[in-house]
Amino acid sequence: MMRDNRIRRLPMVLSALVALGLAVLPLPTVLEPLRPDFLVLVVFYWCVESPRAGGLGLAFVSGLALDLVQGVVLGQHALALTLMGAWATHLRLRIRVFSVLTQCLTIFALLTGYQFVLFWVDGATGNPVTAFSRWLSPFIGALLWPALVNAFGNVRGR
Amino acid sequence: MVAFRNTDTSGRTTGLLLRCVLYSLLALGLIIVDKRYDHLGRIRRLLSVAVYPVQVAVASPFDGWNWFRDSVTTRDALRAEKTKLEAQLRVAQFRLQRYEALEAEIQRLRALRDSTEGITDRFVIGDVMDVDLDAFRARVLVDKGAGDGVYVGQTVLDSGGVFGQVARVGELSSEVILISDAAHAIPVQVNRTGLRTIAVGTGDMSRLKLPYLPTSADVIAGDLLVTSGLGGGFPAGYPVGTVAEVKRDPAQSLADVDVKPAAALDRSKELMFVWLKPQTAEALPKPAAPKPSAPKQAATKQ
Repeated sequence: MMRDNRIRRLPMVLSALVALGLAVLPLPTVLEPLRPDFLVLVVFYWCVESPRAGGLGLAFVSGLALDLVQGVVLGQHALALTLMGAWATHLRLRIRVFSVLTQCLTIFALLTGYQFVLFWVDGATGNPVTAFSRWLSPFIGALLWPALVNAFGNVRGR
Repeated sequence: MVAFRNTDTSGRTTGLLLRCVLYSLLALGLIIVDKRYDHLGRIRRLLSVAVYPVQVAVASPFDGWNWFRDSVTTRDALRAEKTKLEAQLRVAQFRLQRYEALEAEIQRLRALRDSTEGITDRFVIGDVMDVDLDAFRARVLVDKGAGDGVYVGQTVLDSGGVFGQVARVGELSSEVILISDAAHAIPVQVNRTGLRTIAVGTGDMSRLKLPYLPTSADVIAGDLLVTSGLGGGFPAGYPVGTVAEVKRDPAQSLADVDVKPAAALDRSKELMFVWLKPQTAEALPKPAAPKPSAPKQAATKQ
């Protein structure tokens, strides 16, 4: 059992590291607000795919890593990612049987919820970011979701 | 078809709600402790070492590309650049000739009026790392940290003028908040008239604004703004920007002034961290004792 868990965790950690790299990859200033939350999508994927391998722990640790690389108040992304990761885990059986479109809509809702928690903590800690462009990344993230799931399926299928 | 491989679809994940609540409380606790109390600084510095490899890994291909581009530049290009740099150096040296004398003079004058405006002591050059921080805040990551003596609030310059100040220090790297960040303000002075005000960031790297000037204030397009040194955060006299446009609406009590930053906020790769000379009373050249009272006596005689 223990060994089984470890085998399942390696791709989890690797994919999270790659996603963290994508989160800090320099982009032109114009494109920057459009950057999808790769790490959040990866965490959602693992919450749906294998919730028993510790998706929520991954969510919390990934959130802390995001707090550190983005230089915001410690715990902000951790809180948002924990809450939305738990919601994704709760919905996982339904997400599995949804059509692609419904899956995308669900992920869009989760990503928007994630942004909302970030927005709320920003405001509560006295650094409100009211730019409208922060609400664009959930759109792009939701559009990427099917591609991400397929990519993971292909890599793991080999 | 979007399909998941794991077929473990048995009903419940044990204690999901409990774990969610625990992690959330932990995160909330972190937010409150980090925001309200300053105890997390050391922990944060250690944790930032853990994510530093990821940042270095992302930045390294860009560094590699720059290195490659540098190493394949032709001899002609290098010669042209050398000529250009020599010309720049000549101009700079010409301007520097009187610098030492002027600095000594300024020290003497400041001592006369017991001013404690900081005077720069030494510089350390840091490189901006090729990683993005928060998309909605103007910040950059620089490869100098607490190990190099960098401290929070330290002034950061580039070759054009004031770039920003250190917002957070890690062991190996530090975050610099740009003067254009929407949450940043810097005390400035109009060089032409000595008028003091505050330049506030807009979130747009090519623009600052002066929101606290009355419509009647003497400020025109082209005015140079320098740091005033008030508040003690920034040393006095470094260029911050030039006034780009002044809009005066008679219906408003405050003028709308746009400023173009002097530093290349969106392009600079090399930044200077500035240490201020400690200004203790004994470090200053002492003015002759009776001098300050002399004008007063003259005034009473008249």
